[in-house]
Amino acid sequence: MQIKVSTEDLWSHCLNELQQSLAASQFNIWIKPLANSAQVVDGSLVIAVPNQIFLQFIRDRYLGMIEMAAAKVCNGVPPHIELKVGVLAASAPAERSAKPATQETVQEAPAPVQAAPKPAKRFDAAGSNHELSRLNPGHTFDTLVTGKANQVARAAAMQVAENPGVSYNPLFVYGGVGLGKTHLTQAIGNFVHQHNPQAKIRYIHAEKYVQDVVKAYQHKSFDDFKKYYHSLDVLLVDDIQFFVGKDRTQEEFFYLFNALLESGKQIILTSDKIPREIEGLQERLTSRFSWGLIVPIEPPETEMRVAILLKKAEAEHFKLDANVAFFMAKNIRSNVRELEGALKRVMAYSRFTNQSITVDSAKEALRDILASGNRQVSVENIQKTVADFYKIKVADMHSKKRTRDIARPRQMAMALTKELTQMSLPAIGDAFGGRDHTTVLHACRTIQDFRQSDQEMAHQYSVLLQMLRS
Amino acid sequence: MKQLILDFLPPAPRTFDDFVRGDNAELLFQLGEWAQGEVRALYIWGESGAGKSHLLSASEARLEAALPSYYINARQSMLPQQIEGNAALLVDNVEYLDAEQQITLFDHYNTLREGGGRILASGNLPPMLLALRDDLRTRLGWGLVYQLKSLSDDDKIAALLRRARHLGFELHRELAEYLLHHASRDLPNLYQLLEEINTASLSRQRAVTLGLIRETLKSS
Repeated sequence: MQIKVSTEDLWSHCLNELQQSLAASQFNIWIKPLANSAQVVDGSLVIAVPNQIFLQFIRDRYLGMIEMAAAKVCNGVPPHIELKVGVLAASAPAERSAKPATQETVQEAPAPVQAAPKPAKRFDAAGSNHELSRLNPGHTFDTLVTGKANQVARAAAMQVAENPGVSYNPLFVYGGVGLGKTHLTQAIGNFVHQHNPQAKIRYIHAEKYVQDVVKAYQHKSFDDFKKYYHSLDVLLVDDIQFFVGKDRTQEEFFYLFNALLESGKQIILTSDKIPREIEGLQERLTSRFSWGLIVPIEPPETEMRVAILLKKAEAEHFKLDANVAFFMAKNIRSNVRELEGALKRVMAYSRFTNQSITVDSAKEALRDILASGNRQVSVENIQKTVADFYKIKVADMHSKKRTRDIARPRQMAMALTKELTQMSLPAIGDAFGGRDHTTVLHACRTIQDFRQSDQEMAHQYSVLLQMLRS
Repeated sequence: MKQLILDFLPPAPRTFDDFVRGDNAELLFQLGEWAQGEVRALYIWGESGAGKSHLLSASEARLEAALPSYYINARQSMLPQQIEGNAALLVDNVEYLDAEQQITLFDHYNTLREGGGRILASGNLPPMLLALRDDLRTRLGWGLVYQLKSLSDDDKIAALLRRARHLGFELHRELAEYLLHHASRDLPNLYQLLEEINTASLSRQRAVTLGLIRETLKSS
């Protein structure tokens, strides 16, 4: 089907439809960044996406919806849609062969993804002292271990680092504790510094920013405070949830945010939750935090934990056997900090005993750490944690109620019980108000399906899993 | 007439020499490394009475005098509002930190990490089981973590004999065993008993015998 309508008509219609049918977080993460990245070329709708991950995600999850939305404008017949990595060509590209709508050509574009002015031009010539940025020079993209858990976040961070103030503003990274949010965001700062030493970059923990506001109050120095923060080219604020309940801080940050964004300066934020789930944050802030791109960092899977261990050991010039790394990764699953703590313990043991580390000696070195982690998670604990998480009563875990706001958390708790305990399905059914084992099976399958189709559900599952394991 | 004693006990020594090592050799080695600045973050957990406070005090005493250092027992006192980035911070009983203090410690942890400082903390549970905010307990678990293992009976007896000698009397081995079987077995409590026995022995001008120990146990 050759498209006869203009790009504006077609794509803005698609965007509208998607916005209505998708959750706001999904729309903001995956679709909104593409608002200016579609073009009708030779009768096909060509959508340029920033990277391979984006392409895969859009193709797997949203292409069907885009086709359906586009079909409405094109007399009910879905047009040919092409996804490509890179930038839209200024002029029409060469003739394309017609292809069925389900197969897209993937073109790799090595060039920067979005046309952007050179960063050097946008930053003040006023020199900056890298010491003052408070960045840890060790936190770079090179030292960051990448896996399924953080590849989307890394790709987004890389984009921001290459085009600060242009691609996604703000970049909002969220995830549980100890998963590497700080490392990732500081990598952006270090990258920008490396490519533009003149850029004024500042990393600050939200708690410290709150203290700065207090100090400005005490010393009546709000003018200096504002002057300093408003002069930054890149601002990184870690753990933004610390602003909760601090009204004056939120107000100051609101003005700072607006000023920086208006002048094309980059803002990078991290938190343990997505903006609208941070209770006690002013609405005007949560909405602004969602303007750019929101990306999750999930807990790493076993292979990634192994890679993290090997990389850390290498950085410390410590020879870590891969079998030992596997043993540690399999047994210490709560978070990356605990994993790093365990590695330090193994290295300390090796220094103390003057022996190289084998699986057996690692077992010995980590004996008390492993013993303290070997607690069996109880079904009661799972029910309580899940009920708290979704703000429902624990009694609802056993009740006959079948409304979705109760049934979904209950299914989640059942699936987690199957994952985390050795209980049989009938026993799990019993623990959830005497339900049949087929109900449990159904719950597990439902949650499994959701984890593949619904990003938010997938995130909730992994957060709960992490909470229960640690 | 009861003999009054000059209540002038030598202060309880809190040095590494005085600590009964037991099964904790590696931990003691690492505490030495910490005092030298070779290890920057260390967390000790163990049951009450195992000697955590003793080790923290001994570690503080080993720091070079010029280094800014802060020793806080969270059960009794508050953390300083601000610390230098290169300071040494020792926090005993972290499980007693309230919500505000947890944020302060979290903040100090980050300050020390950025500024090349060091932290030595202790608590009753391993980091991941502490009822503290997630971002704090994961940080406590980020450095070296050791369980301070309680002493075996033989080690405790050795410690009692040594402490008695320090107080100025000889305790027979059988009497030390009797104490272990009849009193609460943690070392601070046993030390306290020794001091009471010492006081009773001096004030009544009696040798330390089983009879005297029984009477002291009954009255304490």
